[in-house]
Amino acid sequence: MRRRIVATILRREFSETIRNRLLLATILIPPLLLTVAPLLLGSVIGAHSLPPDLAKAVLVQRPEWASFSPAELAGAFAVQQFLAFFLLMPAYIPLAIATFSIIGEKQARSLEPVLAAPIRTSELLAGKALAALIPGVAAGWLTYVVFILLASVVYGPHLFVVVSDPSWLAGVFVLGPAVGLVSVVAGVIVSARVNDPRVAQQIGGVVIVPIIAVTLLQATGTILVGASGYLLLAVIVAAIGLAGLRLGVRLFEREAILTRWR
Amino acid sequence: MGLGRRFGATWAVRGMDFEVPRGRVLGLLGPNGAGKTTTVRMLTALIEPTEGTATIDGFDVRTQPDEVRARVGILTETPGLYDKLSAEANLDFFGRLYGLDAATRADRIEHYLRLFSLWERRRDVAGTFSKGMKQKLAIARALIHDPAVIFLDEPTAALDPEAAYVVREAIEGLRQAGRTIVLATHNLDEADRLCDQVAFVRGGLLRIDSPARLRGSLAGGQVEIRLAERALDDGLLAIATGIEGVGSAHFDGDRLVVEAAEPSRVTPSLVRALAGAGAAILEVRPAATSLESVYFEVMGVQPGANGEAA
Repeated sequence: MRRRIVATILRREFSETIRNRLLLATILIPPLLLTVAPLLLGSVIGAHSLPPDLAKAVLVQRPEWASFSPAELAGAFAVQQFLAFFLLMPAYIPLAIATFSIIGEKQARSLEPVLAAPIRTSELLAGKALAALIPGVAAGWLTYVVFILLASVVYGPHLFVVVSDPSWLAGVFVLGPAVGLVSVVAGVIVSARVNDPRVAQQIGGVVIVPIIAVTLLQATGTILVGASGYLLLAVIVAAIGLAGLRLGVRLFEREAILTRWR
Repeated sequence: MGLGRRFGATWAVRGMDFEVPRGRVLGLLGPNGAGKTTTVRMLTALIEPTEGTATIDGFDVRTQPDEVRARVGILTETPGLYDKLSAEANLDFFGRLYGLDAATRADRIEHYLRLFSLWERRRDVAGTFSKGMKQKLAIARALIHDPAVIFLDEPTAALDPEAAYVVREAIEGLRQAGRTIVLATHNLDEADRLCDQVAFVRGGLLRIDSPARLRGSLAGGQVEIRLAERALDDGLLAIATGIEGVGSAHFDGDRLVVEAAEPSRVTPSLVRALAGAGAAILEVRPAATSLESVYFEVMGVQPGANGEAA
């Protein structure tokens, strides 16, 4: 694989992405909301304490929070819910970019001249995948950094420790990219079959369902996933992504694009 | 040689055998679905032939596809531009894909944008261009890496007459510059004007020759003589049929149509004899045969029969 070609594809994809207002809004609005929403929620919930049964269940899973005051425990529990939301960015943004990019090329029929150049399909796919993955992962990481900086100011040192503990770091920095990979693969596979980016996003959005499930389990206190849990999830999700990539590569073969993509 | 491609159980095209000398223009003529685009895609190493092979500038499309792709430029059926990028950025992207350095890219981008009168619009996004301008930009894109062979697939299809004229002029310019071009089209006039050779294609190669020879092959020996008057009808017919080599003669309006196996051999004697008999001859010419007539003959269809075989 020639890095020069991959970089050329990547540069063009970025150029088009920043000129697509709808796509740009899709990339920028969720991070802004996710930075502000936890702080607003924290300011409300932080003034209350958790119901005794829920507080007990939380402390069973997070004994290190035992020293927290009731308000801090409530705040820690509240912000903990948002980790899963940070995983939505590397899930949704790459899906949106990949589907817009691939279906956009289908509609404009711009892939044939590209494939007529001395480029390998693996280079084309790598360029497109990276162009979709990088903004999603970067948005997740950047938003997280802004979030913990603000959290340290708003919630104080105890909750800063919560949002920067190993489970958060593993979730954001390891599981996030793995989720992004699955999302890109879903975008590639679905986009090869449909001609409307919104339909592709709805179908490809199935990858977000497990993340929603984790969110619900955390919100109800059923399970609070720790660092090892997120690392294990990351391995499983990455394995699914890599397996799906093989199918994606086959759908992205030169002849398949020219003769079957309609 | 023997180039063919099958999709599933159906052969799109097979048995394609032809050669295009350097600097010449070959037209691939045929109805929709005849296999022109499939042939172009095989020759540009976009899809692999099911049988046979071809060499482009000495490289085999089957075994050396990367080398072939580096040496061909293609204008696809639709321009396939990146509408959100400027004309300049579209060309720069392809220049990078073909591995051109920055200075060469800049030189060629300026050269082709000026050549196709797009230089003033170089910073405008392609999405704002007219169809003709987009097509010219797509041709510039096909030329950016200075390919040995240029493939133009339906370059004027879906263009209005003005845009089609502009694109044809651009192709004419390339022809005069000595480029080797393969032009897939169903525009017979375009093929007649631009091509040195025409290949009729429908599921395979039906016939290939120069437009002039193709027309000549169908004319089958007719001379038309336009007269100022018809006072000597019967006498002229008798004189014409009496000349050695003339098969038959008849009047069609003010024209005397003479059938002969070799019109060029009998025409001087014919003209002398008719003039000697007092005929007022206004014009003498071989019976005009258009490429369209040849097309219908070769394809085995009747005009107006919706393309069904006669």
